[in-house]
Formats: sequence, structure tokens, C-alpha cells
Amino acid sequence: MNRTGGFARCAVLTAVAFLAACSSSPTSTTSSQSSSASATGATIKIGIDMPLSGADAATGIPTRNGSVMAIEETNAKGVPGGFTFVAYDLDDAVQGAHDPAQGAQNVKSFIADPAVLAMVGPFNSSVAQAEIPDTNDAGLAQISPATTNPGLTKGDEAAKLRTSHPDVNNFFRVCTTDDRQGAAGAQFARKLGLKKAFIVDDNETYGKGLADVFETQFKADGGTVLGHEHLTKGQTDYKALLTKAHALAPDMIFYGGTTVTGGALLRKQMGDTGLGAVAFLGGDGISDDEFIKSSGESANGVYYTVAAPETSKLPSATTFVANYKKRWKSDVGPYSANAYAATMIEIAAIEKAAAANGGALPARDAVLKLVAATHGFASPIGTIGFDKNGDTTAPILSVYRIEHAKPVFVEQISLKV
Amino acid sequence: MDVFLQQIVNGLSLGGIYALIALGYTMVYGIIELINFAHGDVYTFGTFTSLAVLTGLGVSGEVHGPWLIGVVALTIVASMLTCGALGVLIELLAYRRLRKAPRLAPLITAIGVSFILENVMQLWRGPSPIPFPQVIPNPSASLGGVEISAKQVVVVALAVVMMVALQLFIYNTKIGKAMRATAQDRDAAQLMGINVNTTIMVTFLVGSALAGAAGFVSGVYYGTTWFFNGFEAGLKAFTAAVLGGIGNIFGAMLGGFSIGLIEAIATQYIPQGAQWSNVVVFSVLVLVLIFRPSGLLGESLPEKV
Repeated sequence: MNRTGGFARCAVLTAVAFLAACSSSPTSTTSSQSSSASATGATIKIGIDMPLSGADAATGIPTRNGSVMAIEETNAKGVPGGFTFVAYDLDDAVQGAHDPAQGAQNVKSFIADPAVLAMVGPFNSSVAQAEIPDTNDAGLAQISPATTNPGLTKGDEAAKLRTSHPDVNNFFRVCTTDDRQGAAGAQFARKLGLKKAFIVDDNETYGKGLADVFETQFKADGGTVLGHEHLTKGQTDYKALLTKAHALAPDMIFYGGTTVTGGALLRKQMGDTGLGAVAFLGGDGISDDEFIKSSGESANGVYYTVAAPETSKLPSATTFVANYKKRWKSDVGPYSANAYAATMIEIAAIEKAAAANGGALPARDAVLKLVAATHGFASPIGTIGFDKNGDTTAPILSVYRIEHAKPVFVEQISLKV
Repeated sequence: MDVFLQQIVNGLSLGGIYALIALGYTMVYGIIELINFAHGDVYTFGTFTSLAVLTGLGVSGEVHGPWLIGVVALTIVASMLTCGALGVLIELLAYRRLRKAPRLAPLITAIGVSFILENVMQLWRGPSPIPFPQVIPNPSASLGGVEISAKQVVVVALAVVMMVALQLFIYNTKIGKAMRATAQDRDAAQLMGINVNTTIMVTFLVGSALAGAAGFVSGVYYGTTWFFNGFEAGLKAFTAAVLGGIGNIFGAMLGGFSIGLIEAIATQYIPQGAQWSNVVVFSVLVLVLIFRPSGLLGESLPEKV
């Protein structure tokens, strides 16, 4: 039962009404840093849709910056045909939080501008769900640096988003998906020498998906799964469940879910049921401060995976990280390098399409075809290619361990797909 | 066998929390036949109050020696008083005027009060889980392979003590007698000179104070709380009250312990048990109600409070 849903819906409706009221004047929040570059030829715009205000700005702005940096570097190097790239960035946050309706509105602005040949974004999966039907209709290539919901690219869910051209995929991402965290977790657990896992998930899309993939991979890697249980929503007492697990003598517990759906309580109650010394591994659902606060002392020693590389520790990203610090006078964000890579892929595709078009401004669908064909593209976050769904073929995930109530980076895991 | 006994211990301590909340449900229902859906949230409010008192006292971890008794006593009394006052206030503002209205009206109002309390608590402490200091040291003893922790003993003991105290209060005091009279026939009680308003107010005071005590105990027992805690716990406690025979004090406790035990045993012995334990609990409830429509102990006693 989601009691906050009503309020959120109300806010969305208000936002929609507001947008409808002012749709006659085009959104004018463009604040591109790179538009002043002098050029002899036409300008090509890259749409950037990110949450740039409110609580999401902390991660949204560094991501936007990565994308803007790619455009600036390209212009500084000089573009064949005399084109100039321009960042057309719009904010999808309304009243301090990312907003699917605003994202859809931003995408409509991109589509209405013929100079926009591709776009980077959005940051959030819920926003992507609202945007994909529009970009699919317009045949606009869209690469997201940070959305991790598997349903955006895979299966029936993804097919339903492609309303106008179900057979043409125009949505790509350079980050990996939630379900691959389960596989990375299993690989990591086997590396630690853990053999007998008891799996618990919260029975929600994210958590169950993670746990199911973990189970398959852990078994494939030679591990034993002693049990796989699902929590009931609202439950707070897991002692009976943990006693059951304890009797089977596992050497690790894998948890698929978030802090609020049971992660923190489960970890805490492990101590009460004789499982305090048993390893605990989860996905990025428990990567928040709430987990550390709520589970207190017992948080220490917990491992969790995140569906992105730790850029500062990636050898291929050293130059990017240094340049980023020089340009923005601040530390690189968790998805800055992803946005940089996404933008570079689009720029390469546009340049190639322009060359094929005799140096004239290429069409969007020509760009889209080249983006989809990306393979072996060298970037700060590794060599990128897209599979038939639009997902990266070289996912890199990272593992963290909580020590003294602080997450500490452990290692990167490169999955073979 | 060890595992079975361990699950009995788990079930009893979980049931103890349900029983403490169920006592308040059953009291209110017994006297005005209102299912006070806000009761679960009053219980959460008790946890929040206890947390505020402990924060005020600067307690953030285990307390030892004589201080322990002082801190626990002060927190539990503060929580009981605050929740008692809250219960009286709810009765005064939301239920009193509707006492003669059709029964559906106060029921809906109770749901409304529940929403209000949840949202107030969400505004107060935010939507995320909040850690609760582990005030009571928690040594555990091993009896033939079964681990019993101090906190589990406290929960069960408190539930039993509260039940007995309540029973004594209702059957051995003047106000208790007034409560029984009001429960049987409100108009006749009034004719006999009983102040019905005061009596109902005391019922809410006592029931909500019990929820305050339960709130403190569950905070210590689970070490964490959040604004939505009372929803699930309240639902289970209400089920416990119905299972035991709503209106019956001993039945509420019996129902609470039964549900705790059924949950623990179902989790252990049914594959995917954690997911199915609720199904088992409510199946048992349905079966019991088919054969004994007024609950396990509902008919055995003529008087209900």
C-alpha cells in the first residue's frame, strides 16, 4: 500500500497543468556553456536531460558536466565539415525531485528542434519510461548514463515503451542493469570462498530480480543455495525466518531488496539469531546512508554491489578524471564518465553520418543506425558496444564493504555477456 | 527439535508484542463496539515518544546498573502518559460526537485518525526507518540448544504482567466495575449514576497507555522504528483480538501468542514460509471464526470489557 502515491500523483498533475498553461512559449532554460564557440558551418545540438535542481542535482549536475565536457573537447579538436556541437541541456526536476512529466516535456522540446540529432539522458528510470515513447516516435537516438531498470531495454516491458516503432530500438545505456548486480554478487561471493548461500528477497521487481539472478549464477559457479525466501511487505520480525536459515548453516545471506523493504532489519536481527558472523551481501538497494544508520553496528562487514564502475579507481578513466577536475573545479560524480562516454558515442555516430551524407547535416535515423551499431568504442569506462536490446556489452560493476559505518571500495567486477 | 523450540521462543516473543497491542483493541471494542483502527498508530507514537525521551536523556546505547531501572521506568511512564493522553484526545475529538451515529461512521473516522497520526509522525521524523537505542543489555542464555535473550523474556513477561494487571483493574476497582456496566448496557449504567463519558475516557486512557508501553518495548526489541510500523502490527493485533474473542482481555493475549506462534512455525515448516505465514495465520482465523464466530474465548464469559 503506497500512501504517498496520492500526493505524488497530485504533484504530477499540477506540473502537467502548469506545463500545459505555458506550452505556447518554448522552455528557455538552455544554459549551455559551449554555445559561444565560433563556427563556420551549421550547429548540431545534443539534447541533455538531467535533474539539475533540488535533491537530485547533487548527482545530476556532475553527470550533465561530463556530457558538456565531451562536447567542448570535440569542438576544441575541430569537427570535420565545420560543424559546431552545442549542448542543449534541460532540467527534468520539478519541485526538487526528478519528474517523469517534465522529462517527457523536455524530450518534446528536443524533438521540435531540428538541430537536435541525438540526446543524452535521463538519469532516472521512471523518467526514461515517460520519455522513450516520444523519442521512439521521433527516431531520436537516446543514451542514458544512469538508468538501471532492466525493463527499459529488455522483454515485454521495453517493447511496450516503443509505441510507434516496436521493432526499432532507440534507447541505449552505458550503465548496466539491476539484474546484473545479482550475477556480479554471485561472482564476488564465490571469489570470497563462500559456498552455501541462503537467499532472501523483498518480492518486489528490483529485489526479486536481483535475487533470482544471484541464485542462477551462484549455482552455475558451483555454490549451493540452501533456501530462497521472500519477505512479506510490512513485516518487521524476521527472527523465525533467520532461525530457519541458521539451522541450515549458511556461510552467507544474499539479500535482494532495499533498506526499507527489510534490508536493515534483516541484518540487525541476524545478530539476535546466531548469524551475526555470517557474510551479508546485497545490491545497491542497501547502498544508502539509511542502511548504515538503521542497522547500526551490524552494518559493518556488509558487502554490496553498485551497477556502475568506481571511476576514480578505473585505470582507463585517469585522464578523464584529471580533465574533469581541471574544467569543473570539483570532484567527478558517480555517473560523469558515463555521460562523457554516452556523448562521445553520439558525436562519433553523428560525424560518421555527416561524412556519409556528403558533409551535410545527417538525418536522425542515420545517426540512430550508427549509434545502434556501436562496438569496440574506447571510453573512460571501458570498451563499449551495444547488444540488440541497447545494453552495454561490457558492464563493469563495483563492490563496496561497510567499515566503521562508511562504505569502502573493494573491487571492480567486469562481467562477460 | 532445537529448531522447533527456538521457533516457539521466537513466536512467543513476537506474540507478546501483538498481545500488548491487542489488549487496547479489545478494551475499546468491549466498551463501545468500535474497532479503533488508530490504535496501531498510537502504538507507533509510543515508540516515537520513547525515542524522544531517550534522546532527551542523552541515552544512545546500553544502560547499566541502577540507571537502567530509572531510564526504563521514566521512558515507559512518559510513553504511557503521552499515549494515554493521545488516546483520550482522539476519543474526545473524533469519536465522542459520533457515539450515536451509525457504526460505520466512527469506523471511517478511526481510519482517518490513523492516516492523520501516520502523516504527523512522518512529518516529525521523516519517512525513513529510525534507529532506536538498545537500552536494555541483551545477554542470552542457552537452554539445551535454545537461545533465549533478555529482551525476549522482557517482552513476554511484560505482556503477561499487563494482562494480569488489567484483569485486576477491571474486576477489582470501582472504575473497572463502571467499565463492565457501561459495556453491558450504556443507558442502564447511566441511569444507575455512572458517568459514561468518564468511563469511556478512562478506557481509552488505559488502552492507549498499554500501546505506549508496547511501543517502548518494541523499539527496544527491534532496535528500529518508522512511521508506518503500526499499520502491520495493528492489523495483526486486531486479528489477535478477534481470534481470541474481541472484548475479552485474556482472549486478546491468547490470540496474540497464538498468532506469533503460528507465524514462526509456518515460516519454519512450510517451503517459502516467510511469504506464506500470513496466509496460514488468516486461514486459521477463518477456520476458528467458522466454528466459533465470537472467537476462541468470546462466548465463555458473559461480561465483555
